[in-house]
Parts: sequence; structure tokens; C-alpha cells
Amino acid sequence: MPPPPTIAQQLAAKQREISVAEFFERNRQILGFDNLQRALLTTVKEAVDNGLDAAEEAAILPEITVEVAKEREDRYRVAVTDNGPGILRREIPNVFGKLLYGSRFHSHRQARGQQGIGISAAVLYANLTTARPARITSKVEEEDTAHVLEVFLDTQKNQPRVDSEDVVLWDRAHGTRIELELKARYVRGRQSPYEYLRGTAIVNPHARIVLVEPDGTRVTFERATTDLPPAAKETLPHPYGLELGELGFLLKASRRPTLGEFLAKDLQGVSARAAKDLLERAGLPAGSKPVSVQGAAQERLLAAMHDTPLVNPSADCLSPIGATLIKRGLRNVLGDLKPEFFAPPVTRPPRVRGGFPFMVEVGLVYGGGLPPDQPVQILRFANRVPLLFQQGACAVTNAIGNVDWRRYGLDQKGGSGVPSGPALVLVHVASTKVPFTSEAKEAIAEDPEIDKELTLALQAAARHLRTHLSRKSRRDFASDKFEIILRILPKLAERTSRMVAKPVPDLTPVITKIMDVVNVETRIAAEAKFVRVPVEITNYTPRPRVLELFAEVPPELLARATFEPAPDGTDATLGRVWWTLPKLLPNGRTTLAASFPPGTEVDANDFDWYVAGIDEAHILGADPLPGDWDVRLPRTIVEAAEIAAQEGAAAAGSDEEVDYDAAEASADVRDED
Amino acid sequence: MPPKRARTSATRTEDPAPKVRADALRPTVDMARQIYDQLDRGEIPRMRLPLRTKQNLAFLARDGVWRLGKAMGTRSARKLDGALMLLRTFYVVDFINEMARDKKTSTLRELYYISEGWEDAKFHSEDESNLLIEDLEVMCERLREDFRLHPEENGASVIGDLTIKERNRKGLVKKINCRDDVGDGGYALPFNVEKEKIEFVGTNAKFVIAIECGGMVDRLAENGFDEKHDALLVHLKGQPARSTRRFLRRMSDELKLPVVVFTDGDPWSFRIFASVAYGAIKTAHLSSYLATPAAEFLGVTASDIENYDLPSDKLSEQDVRALEAERTDPRFATAEWRAEIELMLKNGKKAEQQSLAKYGLNYVTDRYLPDKLTAMGIG
Repeated sequence: MPPPPTIAQQLAAKQREISVAEFFERNRQILGFDNLQRALLTTVKEAVDNGLDAAEEAAILPEITVEVAKEREDRYRVAVTDNGPGILRREIPNVFGKLLYGSRFHSHRQARGQQGIGISAAVLYANLTTARPARITSKVEEEDTAHVLEVFLDTQKNQPRVDSEDVVLWDRAHGTRIELELKARYVRGRQSPYEYLRGTAIVNPHARIVLVEPDGTRVTFERATTDLPPAAKETLPHPYGLELGELGFLLKASRRPTLGEFLAKDLQGVSARAAKDLLERAGLPAGSKPVSVQGAAQERLLAAMHDTPLVNPSADCLSPIGATLIKRGLRNVLGDLKPEFFAPPVTRPPRVRGGFPFMVEVGLVYGGGLPPDQPVQILRFANRVPLLFQQGACAVTNAIGNVDWRRYGLDQKGGSGVPSGPALVLVHVASTKVPFTSEAKEAIAEDPEIDKELTLALQAAARHLRTHLSRKSRRDFASDKFEIILRILPKLAERTSRMVAKPVPDLTPVITKIMDVVNVETRIAAEAKFVRVPVEITNYTPRPRVLELFAEVPPELLARATFEPAPDGTDATLGRVWWTLPKLLPNGRTTLAASFPPGTEVDANDFDWYVAGIDEAHILGADPLPGDWDVRLPRTIVEAAEIAAQEGAAAAGSDEEVDYDAAEASADVRDED
Repeated sequence: MPPKRARTSATRTEDPAPKVRADALRPTVDMARQIYDQLDRGEIPRMRLPLRTKQNLAFLARDGVWRLGKAMGTRSARKLDGALMLLRTFYVVDFINEMARDKKTSTLRELYYISEGWEDAKFHSEDESNLLIEDLEVMCERLREDFRLHPEENGASVIGDLTIKERNRKGLVKKINCRDDVGDGGYALPFNVEKEKIEFVGTNAKFVIAIECGGMVDRLAENGFDEKHDALLVHLKGQPARSTRRFLRRMSDELKLPVVVFTDGDPWSFRIFASVAYGAIKTAHLSSYLATPAAEFLGVTASDIENYDLPSDKLSEQDVRALEAERTDPRFATAEWRAEIELMLKNGKKAEQQSLAKYGLNYVTDRYLPDKLTAMGIG
């Protein structure tokens, strides 16, 4: 009779490898498959991200079609087709039928997917919920035919199992199509495939995206540009971002003969001098073999790396969207809402946290068809991927809530929290390593460095909004005045002159008294050969004016501009240009113009105008020169500014009579004849 | 030979406003000169007008009416509203000149529609155009009839033994007794009730009773109140038109008849009485001509509601606001009115004239009115 099993033997009998199916079951939430609505969205998202990445890597303008068809209640068929380079036959099973298989896991650059869980998790989910294989069609340009494979993910071994295989003709040069049947639910509105694809279209204006909904509705997001974003470069890991495990992996895999060379060539940011410092600190000889550095030595090396001042990681590996494309993407997708204002997008310079570069971009849209009394819409993006869930837990939302939007013209209860108003805020965080709150990659985690950049970018966008709103209110006021002087006054003069049989008097003094502003007006005219921006400066004040006019233009636009007349000064770096205007008599006008090569995208918001030589109350369409510009003004301008200031003080004391038409409107006389 | 029709066509070309003052438009030229001079001097064009507000009512002891005080406001081209009103003023003046040339008149409503063709100067509501005509009256010290403008006929009516001579639109003079020569609707007042249009021939009536609602006029007529009590019934039709007020004034002045005002018992009816007796805010420039200072308020008073235990309604929010406004209205600044207003506010109740029917159809003519008239020393 065999002895009874020991406790250890009993336990050993229970120990076994956890199958991927069990892993999946336990981690549904973080993988994005915890409910039917989300399962569908995650599936679409993973397939579309892969398609975009594949096309971009091959420098192809992406064209993605998403078709969702209802099979029966809670069961849908999703097909996503891209025009990427296609996948070689031998790679297809692994790409789609094996978790944690990917080419990007160890690469140091910004990409949409990284872990290689995404698409195979979708395949696994489909397998588990409908027992149907994933059907993959893929064609590479070198071959004449496409391969069609039906793939299962073997949940015991985490291995692909090809169920059937065929070769077909496919009328396209290259591309991949994945079809999945899964338990799911299709919704519209918030957190829907539509919302996800709309967001994707905004930040990927070079992509053409088509969605065919279960009821046959076809939504097309046309591309707004045919320029591919510059490919993000692959860079070497930076020591500040390394952890022990990865350092060990790098040392083991290194082909460098010495530790010194390893530091200089397998990592970035380590100069020869820094390498020497670092090795001294770690107490390791420069000549030792990388693979020999193990255990305590590895730990000493890592500590020394983190203690030694190094050159910051390069930001070449980042792929920001850029101001132009943010604006174009927002216009393209939100055009139907006819927003009154697209703030110039803010792209902050790259910064570093740990060993990873990151940068923040913000776009802001105001007015038009956006709902006026609801919380501001927030579009969050990480590495060009829309984030649809966990908005409340996201560092982006927090940063928005911490800005006091009341100062910038939006409603905000108590000066914190998501503001309300007819506005939409787009925030993009790009990094080789975005800190997410969880593996589901739905919300960005709090980080002091990122938070600082978010705040600065949001404030910059908010300042544009404030400027817009204050200009708008002044414009409304001014439009009354313009109506008086242009439409009413001339007729009044004409009729009264006729009644007294005298010639119409010169109205200049009256016009300037009514207006009492210098008006700077920009118009954009796209002409056949060039884009011309004429600017009219009119002195609607009763005094002659000597003024200095400044324009602030994005430097890249300034570089393409020619001005007429030639400016009296230019600062190409800061994007500033200025003129001393000819003396303007009352009702006098001068015009200048900027011209750009054909096709240049310019709008009136690209120009910020500033004037010196007059006080704020007497300028329209421009602001007073900011105090921190530190420019040397001509003596005449300085004197003019002083006189204007005195005038302003004197005018403040004048008294107004009772406005007859305002008094009468309020009188309680409606019920009498 | 066919009959001659010359007479008819002569009637057609006759000026419908023959009595318009020949110098009616002279002040408008002065206004134009004023604006022209301002423009010529480089000043922002403006006009000064007395404010037609409650606060700017002043009691004119000589006439016993409330009229415009001395507070002035400025209509200036500095603001869009003011600039528009100035421009419209001269469009209206041009239009009036045109009418004078063509021997036409127009209703106030027609003027409003005429302005459709004035582009920027067009009126946005009839209130706006009516207001401007009143401004013109004030500035030129003329009546709107002098400008060939008149309201639509709104036919307030008179029932009772009053004989008048009316010169009708065909130029014929008709003698009319307002009891015997008219139907049940009574004699309908035209918009022009001046001497050249209506002459008083004679009356046996001892007083005039001006009544707010048509239903009550009918009740008094059916019950033969006018004959039994030698009364002239005048239907006010809510807030009385200028012609109704002017006609009451003429009866008071020329026939030496006492005038009593019989309305609902609510704050709005108080205002009807005020505009009859003291002068209205909007037409305060014409109070000496339109108001009947001798008119007395008969009821329904706040104390009537209590004394006669009349069916009543609760005062609405607007009612309370109207009463509060009347507290600071100089026309109601007498001990009697103060007491009335406070009592109505305190009780929070209002009642219609016709609520007297609670006691039967004859109650108002047999009991209520005789009681009240006796207390007033009339009848």
C-alpha cells in the first residue's frame, strides 16, 4: 500500500500552468472585455490601431473600413480592413493567435499598441464567446494572391491553431482584413465605435475611415491631408527610464565587447565623460564584458545611472500631431457644427519624465452648434489613440478641472471641475511611455511633470479663448457704432440738409466722435497666385494718431510671408513683425498686406495685432502692446502714448445725460393709449 | 345726356383733413435745422425731449391735471437706438409732407407698414412708431391729427339723451340724438371729436357715467338706467382712446355735466380712471386737452368689495406689482387713493363690475348705483 501523499505532494498536484483562458477571464476588465458594449468597442479599437500603425510604418496613407453587422441578439460580426503592407503567411497565426506576440514591445518609440495583447485578445474573446475562429485575409504586394486563414487561439498553450486555409484573389495591392464573430452590443453616442472613430479621425487627419453600422448607415471620415505624419524614429533606451529587469536583458543581449561601449552605443544620452563618471560611481571597470555584469553589480550600475547627470532623452521618437493638423482635423470633423472659433492649437515643447520623453498638445473649439449649457466636451488622446473610458480618473480631466476657466470666459462652479459652455477641448499626450492608470490604457495617471505641461498648455489655449471672447464683445459694440456711422448718419445728414436746403456737411468730426477708436481690420483673400492678408488701420478718433503696429504670427507662417510695405523690424524666432505707421489724420486710413505662397493655410486668428501709441479703450481689433515685449519704441510713439493716457484720464470724468430712448423703454406706460 | 358726376369727384379730391393747421410742419424744419447745425459744427446729433415717465409727471394747478414735468432726456446718435430714432423722425416728416402734398391721411398702423420701405429706418413694432409720433407731438407742440395721422376707428360708444351734429365723411351735417336716432350699439365716436366734426346741440341728462365694460353698458341700457336717472352712458372699452377722453372732457366743459367713472375693482381700473381724470403718462403732453379733472371715481372700490360682499378673485402677482407701482405714482398721491390701494393690497382681492349680478340683474341699477351716486351728491 503506497504511503498517503504528503501535503507538499498534494499541493504540487494542484499546481499547474494557468491557461491563457483563465488569465483572460481574470483580466477581462483590464483587457477591455468586461461588458458587451465595451467588448465590441475594444475589438474595433485594436483592429483599427493595428491597421493605422501598419499603414504608417509602410508610409502608406491609411484607409480603414470598419463593418459591423448584427447576426442575432447580442451577437455581431466585425470586419476591419486596412490598406497596410499585409502580413506574411507565416506570421499571420502568431500575430492573431498568440498573446504577447509583437514587434514593438522592446522598441523605444511612440506607437499606438505596444504590448501585443490587443488584437489576439479580441480573437480569444471571439473564440470564447462564439466558438468561431477569426478569419484573416492578408495580401502582401509581392504576391499575386491573398491568404485566408481561420485561426483559433489555443487557450491551453497560448498557441495559434489554424483551422482552415485558402488562397484567394483579392482586388487590392496589399492589406489585411480581420473578421470576428463575437458576443457584443452595438450602441451609438458615448463610448461607441462612432465616437472612437471620430476621435481617431480628428487626430489622424491623414487617414480615411469608413464605418458601416449594423443598420447599413455608412459614415465616412474623409482625410483632411495627404501628408503622412513624420515617422517616429526608433531610439535607444535612456538610462533614466531603465529598470533592473530591462537593464539585465540589455546587458545579456548586448554584442558590445566592453561595458564602456555598451553605455555609449546601446543606450542614449551617455557621453564619454558621463560614462566614466558613472562607472567610477558604480565601481565597475570600463573594460568588463556587459554580460558579466550581474547581481549586485547590476544594481550598482543602475543606481549610478540614475545618479549621474546625463543628456536628456531625445524627443525624435515622438510623433506629435502638430498645430496645423490639429486644427485641420478638428475643422474636418466638427465643421458641421460651425464653431465660431478654433483656438490656435498649443503644442508644448517635449519634456522628460524618468527616461521617457513626452509632449502635450491642446486644441480648443468654441461656439457654433456646440451645446451652450453642458459640460465642455473633452477629447482625450494618448499617442493618437482616443481615450473613451474613465474620464473622471484621468490626469487630463483633473488638469482641466484645476484651471480656473471663469477667468477665461467659461462657466465653472466654484472655479474648479470641468467647466461648462459651448466648447470642446482636445488634449493629446504623446510619449514613448504614457503612464496609464491600468493596463486597460483608458486614463492617464497623475504625474507631476505631465500635469505641469497639461496646465501650461490648457492655460495657453484658454488665453486664446479669452482674447476671442473679449474681441467678440467689443466687436458687437463696435458693430452698432459702424452701423451708425456707415448707414444711419449719412442718411440723417442727407435728409436734414435737404430740408434746410444746404449742402451735406463733412461728417468726419462727428464720425470720429461717435467711434473714437482706431480700428485694425484683417481680411483674408485667397487669390489665384497667392494668399493675401490685407490689414486696414483706420483712425476713427478726433485726433491725428502716430502709431506703431505689431503683428505676432506663428514663426513658420512668418517665414513664408512677404509684407507690403516692408516692416520696420522683424523677429523671426518669436514670430514678430512691426511697422511705424504714417501719421493718421481723423478718419484717415492706411493699409498694409501680408502675402503667402498659394496653398498656405492662414486665417485671421493666426495674426495677433498689437498697437503702441494709444490707450486700450481706443483700439479695436488689436490689443495694447504687452509690457513684457521689451521693444524700444520710437520717441514719437512714446509721446503719443503719454498724450493718449492723459486723454483717457480726462475723458473718464465727463458726465452723460439721461438716455431718452432707454428711459422710455423702461417706463410703465404700456397699458395706456 | 348722362348725369354729371363732377360733384362726386370733387368730393374725392377734397382734403380729408381740412382743418390741419397750416403751419403744422414748420417746427419740423426747425428740428432739421437743429440737427444740421450740430452736424455742421461737428457735434454728435442729438435732441432733448421731456421724459415721459411716471417720475416726470407734474401737477398743473391751473388746469387741475398732471402733465409733463421739466426732466429732460437726450436722444443722441451716439447710440444705435437714438441714431435710429433721429433718422426715423425725418423719414416720418418726409412722409407727412408727402401726405400734405397729396391731400391724404393715414392711420398709425398704415404708417408702421409704410416704414417697411425705409430700410435701416424701418420700425420694428407699432409701439415704436406710435412712440415716435407722440415724440413729434411733444417736440412740435402739435397733435398727431395735425400730422395727418389718426388711429383706427375704435368706436367707443355713447347712449343717452344727447343731441349732436356730426359732419360726416361726405361733408354732410347730420343731427343725431344718441338715444333715439341710434341702434342698440349707441352712437359710435369717430376718432376726431373736435368742434369742426361734432357740435353739441343739447341734452336733458344730469350726469355722464363712463363705464369700463360693454356688458355693464348693456345692462344699464336694458334696465333703462339712462332714462330713469337722466344719465349719458359712455363705454370706455378698457383703456379709453384719446377721442373718448377728449369727448368726456368736452361734455364736462361745454355741457357742464358731472362725470363719474364706473370700472372693475382692480389696479388696472384705477389707471383707467387716472388717465380719464388726471392725464396719462404717455400722453401727459396733452393732459390739458384730454383729461377731465372734474371726473370722479364711482367704483368698484376696494371697500365696495367688502361692503357689498362681492364675489372676488385673488390679486395676481402682476396685480400686486401694479398696485406697488401706483403707490409711487404722483397721480395717486392723495389720502383717498392711498387708502384704496392699501386696502386692496391688504385684502388681496379684486372684483369685476359684473360681480354685482350676484344680487340679481337689477341690483346694479336699483341699489348699487343710486346708493353710490347719492353718496357722491349726484343723481
